[in-house]
Amino acid sequence: MFGDEELIKIHRERATAVANIIIFCFMIVLVRLWYLQIYNGEKYHEYSVQNRLRKEIVRAPRGMMYSRNDVLLVDNIPRFDAVLTRQFLQKKERTLKRLAEILDMDLETIKKIIKKNSYQAKYRPIIIKKNISLEEVAKIETENASLPGIFVDTFISREYVDEEVGAHLLGYISEISQDKLPTYQTRDELDYSLGDFIGQFGIEEIMDRSLRGENGYEFVEVDALGRKKKYINTDNLFKGIEDKSPKPGNNLKLTIDRDMQKAAYEALEGRSGSVVAINVETGELLTMISTPAFRPSEFSKGLTQEYWSSLINNEDKPLGDRSIQNHFSPGSTFKPFTAIAALEEDIIDPSTKIRCHGVFRFGGRNYRSWKRYGTEKVDITDALKHSCNIFFYKVATELDIDDLAKYAKMFGFGKKTGIQLPREVSGLIPTKEWKLKRNGIEWQKGETLSCSIGQSYVLVSTLQLANAYAAIATKGKLYKPYVVKEVFDNQGKIIKKFEPELVRQIELKPSTWESVRTGLYKVVNEPNGTAWWRRGLGNMMAGKTGTSQVVRAQSEEQLYSKCSEMDYKYRHHGVFVAFAPFDNPKIAVAALVEHGCGGSSAAAPVVEKVVNTYMKKYLPEKHEKLVRKDKESLARFYRKRRQEQEEKLRQQEAEEEDGSEG
Amino acid sequence: MNQTLVNFFKKYDYSFFLPMYAIFFLGILNLYSATHAHTSEVMQDLYKSQLMWFGVANIIALVVSLLPPKTLFQMSYWAYAINVFLLILVLVMGQKGMGAQRWLVIGGFRLQPSELMKISLAFALARYFVKNNPEKELNLKQLIVPFLITIIPTILIVMQPDLGTGLLLILIFLVVAFFKRLKWKSIGILILIGLVSGSVMYKYGLKEYQRKRILTFIDPQADAKGSGYNAIQSQIAIGSGRIFGKGFKKSSQASLNFLPENHTDFVFSIFNEEHGFFGSIILIAFYIILLLRFIWLSGAVLRFYDSVLAIGIMSIFFWHTFINMCMVMGLMPVVGLPLPLMSYGGSSLLTFGICIGVATSLSNSRNLF
Repeated sequence: MFGDEELIKIHRERATAVANIIIFCFMIVLVRLWYLQIYNGEKYHEYSVQNRLRKEIVRAPRGMMYSRNDVLLVDNIPRFDAVLTRQFLQKKERTLKRLAEILDMDLETIKKIIKKNSYQAKYRPIIIKKNISLEEVAKIETENASLPGIFVDTFISREYVDEEVGAHLLGYISEISQDKLPTYQTRDELDYSLGDFIGQFGIEEIMDRSLRGENGYEFVEVDALGRKKKYINTDNLFKGIEDKSPKPGNNLKLTIDRDMQKAAYEALEGRSGSVVAINVETGELLTMISTPAFRPSEFSKGLTQEYWSSLINNEDKPLGDRSIQNHFSPGSTFKPFTAIAALEEDIIDPSTKIRCHGVFRFGGRNYRSWKRYGTEKVDITDALKHSCNIFFYKVATELDIDDLAKYAKMFGFGKKTGIQLPREVSGLIPTKEWKLKRNGIEWQKGETLSCSIGQSYVLVSTLQLANAYAAIATKGKLYKPYVVKEVFDNQGKIIKKFEPELVRQIELKPSTWESVRTGLYKVVNEPNGTAWWRRGLGNMMAGKTGTSQVVRAQSEEQLYSKCSEMDYKYRHHGVFVAFAPFDNPKIAVAALVEHGCGGSSAAAPVVEKVVNTYMKKYLPEKHEKLVRKDKESLARFYRKRRQEQEEKLRQQEAEEEDGSEG
Repeated sequence: MNQTLVNFFKKYDYSFFLPMYAIFFLGILNLYSATHAHTSEVMQDLYKSQLMWFGVANIIALVVSLLPPKTLFQMSYWAYAINVFLLILVLVMGQKGMGAQRWLVIGGFRLQPSELMKISLAFALARYFVKNNPEKELNLKQLIVPFLITIIPTILIVMQPDLGTGLLLILIFLVVAFFKRLKWKSIGILILIGLVSGSVMYKYGLKEYQRKRILTFIDPQADAKGSGYNAIQSQIAIGSGRIFGKGFKKSSQASLNFLPENHTDFVFSIFNEEHGFFGSIILIAFYIILLLRFIWLSGAVLRFYDSVLAIGIMSIFFWHTFINMCMVMGLMPVVGLPLPLMSYGGSSLLTFGICIGVATSLSNSRNLF
């Protein structure tokens, strides 16, 4: 048996061999170093000093966006920057002075820019002025002999054809800043480089991966004057290095209709609000507008400080998307869902009639109707038509809040719709459990009353409203709304197609559907309906007005004081939601006009314009027919009113005659 | 008591720590030079965290050096088994970084089991060879079990995928087997098998980017990600250093971010650019001194286990150094192995710290315990 000592001894030979091999290996390293540093040292030194060989990124063109009718919405347009490369700058004072003249800039400003970037490598171009005019480009190019080190760089800027129209939906891109670079790199596991753009909002953000494509690169050799030339293989060292061409981004076809977008934007312009229109048969988004908006192209051109601060300091917050990133009390537009809950839970039936008088007392508090009128008894359809609060208060005394929540949630409230857009809010549908968890207080019956008319805790987004009404329009088909229809490459090959996705089929009693839909029809199509005067011509809408209280009414005076006389920030939001045409619904539209006071006066005209645009464009024949019918019924209405007035007059005269006789 | 402590430090073997300090000193200067001009502050401060990690590595090395080799011997298989288990865990629930799954997060700490596996393998192989006919020359049949010991973690690591570290395990195995008197005839057969299986593996077993790296090396024309360009820029950097280099903090090629990973894989290029051929001779001399010190230790210890372990640990150092140098000089494909004690990276510093600790422990056992 061998002892350890012997074992070590007999292995010493191999240990020596290992040592020799190691030394031999390092000899190889030294020989290679000698070859690189001494034999070829001068050549490499020259290369490194001049940085002659350079790999330049060739940026991939970003994909474009088209409307549902293949109209271009987002495009790329080449623009120009004036840049300076310090490595090649000569006769500094003279050159910079001339440059300042051409660009109409201060000499000091230019010097400051250069100083700010002096930590960079000398061969790196410094942008002196962004987005210069073609005239300036021409001057720099023609005088380039007397402007050593000054060049014109091309960059592709993103152009949004309709700028503010749909800015929140389409989104914007902006350059990745130095300090954000590592964050994005780890987040997306993509090798972004400085100067790359990234989607920051809306579809640009969500579909960034599809749109961005893949950058390529090319090898250029730079001569002593800084002029680039295509690298030509003459040297062994660079043998076989090849360029890689960029892979353009994929294009998107959206579900959006450009004409409706424009109509919606024009209708809202100057006010804060949002409009959403949905195809009720598919969940396709036809319109999505939020105002005030911003000009998205500014972001890719490089924001000016003025523009940025004008956005940030604007009290109306133009950077927020009011259609999905904002929620509000739906007000009376929520009543159909209370009606559905009451009908389904057999608290009322379609023939139940309730008196709609002015004040309703419950639990020591007064609950008021929105209007001091009415002594008549109404059924559910007329309660919707007049938007009678008392009717719903009475119903709510017997309705369990959890039941109301159950039906509201069926229609997609209280949960994100899951649309392909960032930072959607979920809204809120309160339940007993929720309140206990949040406040530690039991649910108060009185709160059900407020919730039944869409106040108190109930919060919805414009998109949720439109989608829920779409489900009423289709008698229960709740779709997941979507906005990107197709992703296709530059050859037109479809890469990905998005199909309608049915979230659920809502099953209700046929009589429930009938009552609610009839009620909504009456709102718009019967005189005295809250939106009758806003129905337009040839739209055949069915819908509901709503007023979203910004602050709770404190006093009688405040409640009945004219909204338009209040301070702007205390004015109610106006809401209107409708679907059309009633007999065969195609679209559902919701509009919110912040501080617009009435749903009927402020929001309904916006919806009407959008619906009208749709009808004219997609159902022209039906529209024509409906216009004729509407005109006839209007004529009838006026005839009748005239007759009534004449009748009244005659009666008065008759009374007067009686009086004089007596 | 005081007397024994003084005695202890008198007899303590510093001959492994000293070259480590020498190399690390050059390394930290070089890292500072490579990153000081960087535009991001995170990069500028890398040398600070490198110093911090080196401190930790020192403490661990010291602790390991106090463990008696007998303990190391007893825990050999345990360390191996636990490490393999951790590798499986990485595949199941590891954290992804840069497209590969290498990290394991345990209570806020990020652990890279593939790093530790190099050492665990050296332990396991040493233990196996010592217990099974230590006196006989090895033939292929006797190589099967140790090969299995090696290939299990190798496959797990390649699956992460981390081809570089996987290949490194096999290289460690080969060095240890060679030391354990593998017959020359068997070596010939192994080379043959290696060539055949290598080409099969290339065809079927590699991921796209791994194949590209090798292709880039053999034929730059096939490059699609531009890594051929990096290799060339690295060579320009090294070559431009000429005999005495451009001087400290004067690297243009590297500081100008021509080299992408100039603080990890490509530190040797920057060192060469700044200190030239002359500087490299000094650096390489330090590495050779350290490696020969390991080999000398293998012949001077009292137990055969210690001897094999010393060779195994040495091979970890050697392969990292040699492969990294070759790859930045354009002699090998870029596989992403750090240069010991020079490249930035906490886990690699810890690994090499443990190696130094183990060697010191083996050496101390001759006259301390």
